[in-house]
Amino acid sequence: MYSLITLLFVVPVFISLLLLVVPKSLAKPLVITTALLLSAVSVYLFINSEGVYYFGVPAYVNDIVAVADIILLIFFGWIAIKRRSWIVGLMSLLQLGGLLYLLNIMPAHHSLQFMADKLSLFMFLLINIISGIIAVYSLRYIDEEHCSPFRKKYFLSTIFWFIAVMNLVVSSDNLEYFFLFFELTTLASFLLIGFRKDEVSVKNSLTALWMNQIGGLAILAAIFFIHHNGYGEATFTNLLANAKAENVLLPLALLSIAALIKGAQMPFSKWLLGAMVAPTPVSALLHSSTMVKIAPFIILRLSPALKDTPVANVIIALTGFVFVAAAIGALSQDNFKRILAHSTIALLALMIMMAAVGTPVTITASLILVLFHGISKSMLFLNAGILEKVFHLKQSSDMDKLGESGPFTSLVITIGFMSLLLPPFGAFIGKWMSIESLGALATDKKILGALIMVAVAGGGAVLSLLYFKVMGLLIARTGENDKIHFEKTGPYYAATTYILLGLLLATVISLPFLLNQYFAPVTGSLTGTALTIATEGWNIYLGTIKLPLVPMLIAFLLLPVTIIAAMFIRFKKVDRAKEYMCGEKVNYSFSSFYFSTDRATPYFATAGILFFVALIIVALI
Amino acid sequence: MNNLWIPIILIILAPLLGGLVYGFERIIKARMQRRIGPPLLQPFYDFLKLADKRKMIVHSAHAFLGIMHFVSLWFALAVLLLGSDLILVIFLHLLSTALLILAAYSTRSIFSHLGANRIAISILAYEPVLIIIAVSIFMLTGSFDATAAFQSEQPLLYKMPLAFIALLLVLPIKLKKSPFDVAEAHQELTGGVELEFSGIFYEAVYTAKWLDYVFCYTLVYLFAGNNILLGAGLIIFTFFYLNALDNSTARVSYKQMLRFSLTVSFSLAFINLLINSLT
Repeated sequence: MYSLITLLFVVPVFISLLLLVVPKSLAKPLVITTALLLSAVSVYLFINSEGVYYFGVPAYVNDIVAVADIILLIFFGWIAIKRRSWIVGLMSLLQLGGLLYLLNIMPAHHSLQFMADKLSLFMFLLINIISGIIAVYSLRYIDEEHCSPFRKKYFLSTIFWFIAVMNLVVSSDNLEYFFLFFELTTLASFLLIGFRKDEVSVKNSLTALWMNQIGGLAILAAIFFIHHNGYGEATFTNLLANAKAENVLLPLALLSIAALIKGAQMPFSKWLLGAMVAPTPVSALLHSSTMVKIAPFIILRLSPALKDTPVANVIIALTGFVFVAAAIGALSQDNFKRILAHSTIALLALMIMMAAVGTPVTITASLILVLFHGISKSMLFLNAGILEKVFHLKQSSDMDKLGESGPFTSLVITIGFMSLLLPPFGAFIGKWMSIESLGALATDKKILGALIMVAVAGGGAVLSLLYFKVMGLLIARTGENDKIHFEKTGPYYAATTYILLGLLLATVISLPFLLNQYFAPVTGSLTGTALTIATEGWNIYLGTIKLPLVPMLIAFLLLPVTIIAAMFIRFKKVDRAKEYMCGEKVNYSFSSFYFSTDRATPYFATAGILFFVALIIVALI
Repeated sequence: MNNLWIPIILIILAPLLGGLVYGFERIIKARMQRRIGPPLLQPFYDFLKLADKRKMIVHSAHAFLGIMHFVSLWFALAVLLLGSDLILVIFLHLLSTALLILAAYSTRSIFSHLGANRIAISILAYEPVLIIIAVSIFMLTGSFDATAAFQSEQPLLYKMPLAFIALLLVLPIKLKKSPFDVAEAHQELTGGVELEFSGIFYEAVYTAKWLDYVFCYTLVYLFAGNNILLGAGLIIFTFFYLNALDNSTARVSYKQMLRFSLTVSFSLAFINLLINSLT
């Protein structure tokens, strides 16, 4: 087991270096085999693991980590000078100062630095499988990018490096290690966002850098307070062991802030929205399996300590607000990728909220959302890339001919959107359980519970409106072409899409089984109480939460199947008519509706800042 | 389980009931305008006549989605009448409307598109109010199930009068009644989403409107708890209110509708929710 976990750390790093030097012809088999290997290992680990694996590294690694931290921060400082960005420079200086101070006051490490529990293994699954698929897809995508051959290799190399760092992030127990890997994900995203090297890319990559550096700063502060409060070494285990101690709220709040920034919650949503300038596989990577998923991961990790604290309440209120605000913000978007980005922010808010509530059912809901969002979003983003490269479409309003020119892609995107929206797909179940379980919250914190329920349900309605707006464009066609010919997009694109589609359908069909066998143990290991799942009559009971199973199953037959069938069904022996144009001959250009909600964005940002201030204040008192 | 028969009969008869309500509505409206109006069964005569028309469609996906709009709306109504979860019901209703929107978007018809956009805006106007009502019911009964509201000893009306007023203010949007009939707005949009349906395929969209009547009046009935007399009273009151309003007001623009709904109706329901959660 230990050697397999170490494999997940070492192999991607090794491959990452190898990819820089091997020729293109070798890169392809290398990437594919590595992706398969990592996926197989993560599945094997998840199925066969028992208990928690603690393991340490030799003492000299501590020094390497410290030196790597310093080098990294100096590198950030160098970027600040090179790009003349005072804010990156300021952040780097503050971090460097904080780090040196901490290294000075902290005693030498004795305990184990890494810990892989059920949650880590669950995250391995998501990171390795989804990122592996994205890496394979990138082989083709990057081929069509206009850049030098070395930069193409460098792009693939960075992806594997990202995978390695993510695997390390979710399994480090020591917060100093965690800080290094956290900063390394920041670095990886900085490099990937700035990959195209044009003016916008550079600007947005710097935004991503300084915003995430604030998160790093928060982690350093958390380490300081853990040390200062005398909980022993700065590790997650020690922090959770002192969950009831005095003053524990401050380090918790600081780590939560780091999480919220990584999760692009308002007012820090700008970095994720700006990340759209990068090549599409990067967006897929950032949104589905890496980077932003650190946010729910941290909150899930901290949830036993956070539960029922004022800090958790502020996080719940903040994420409830972000959920609605991001959904409203999405209504004014036309760029397909930006629509997806807004929906990511909204769904992340939901995951973080569920993790912060911290009951077994909400934890399960959070896990379900993390997994299914990963699958659906990577599928959507990869197809957004196909739209760009094969069909040359970027704006969603231009997609109204896709139903005829690219029926397969439009079908896949439709399924992707439905999987975020409709029963019985995972995200729907997740959302559903969120609303239902917030009822439990509402019994003792009535006003907060009621407000959050309205926010979740209302934001959900706005989001569904948005998804249907896009689906409406995808389904559009004239009456002239009745035959459907699936287009060819090339083996890499088609294979990755089929795999994700298969993964999505397989997980949906096996959801009741997965819930019992795989989600419940993770929840159990986090909360310490096992989640009981029982079926009774029409309903399936998760703890005390009731899911009306039969209506949902019928709804499944009715809705997604209807929409998919509508693309194929043909009525025979019916005459065709032209659309009614009021006798006019006009060339009407079709597009979708917008709401100019942009005006509200500054208010959203201000409200977000107020929430962050409140987070600190409640932790202090 | 004697009680189960009533909802099942109601579900099966729902299109007929809705048709009767519609027929009766046309008479009442005519009388308010000092006309005699059509016979009570006129909607059904229309129904038969439509079935006899030449079959014409724009394309198959469009016609099919129209039919499925009817089916899914009927399903949403069935889930409501069987007393299942209100959030699920609202969601299913939203999705059935969404199928109609999708149908309209799938054509290249200007009026269908305009109508679909306006229906989407209408959803934005009434959906939050319905959700708040469901959450308020949860706060009062401790369950999202419609059964809890149907069986409540004390009518919910007494606890949530403001929410009921809010419901009365959004129902005209849902049923496309003046002053909020922007989604249909015959003079502007020639029927909006319904325009491209014809003959037997229009039948589905036409009868779906009848189902919407039953759906809306069931929502009204929720407020009466297990008091059948009060429920009947509420339904009759709402019926006359809706028709009087329809006859006496002029259509507002969709912006005005959205603003009114999100400020006045939403706030009313929200204040009610706050009161319910405080006590």
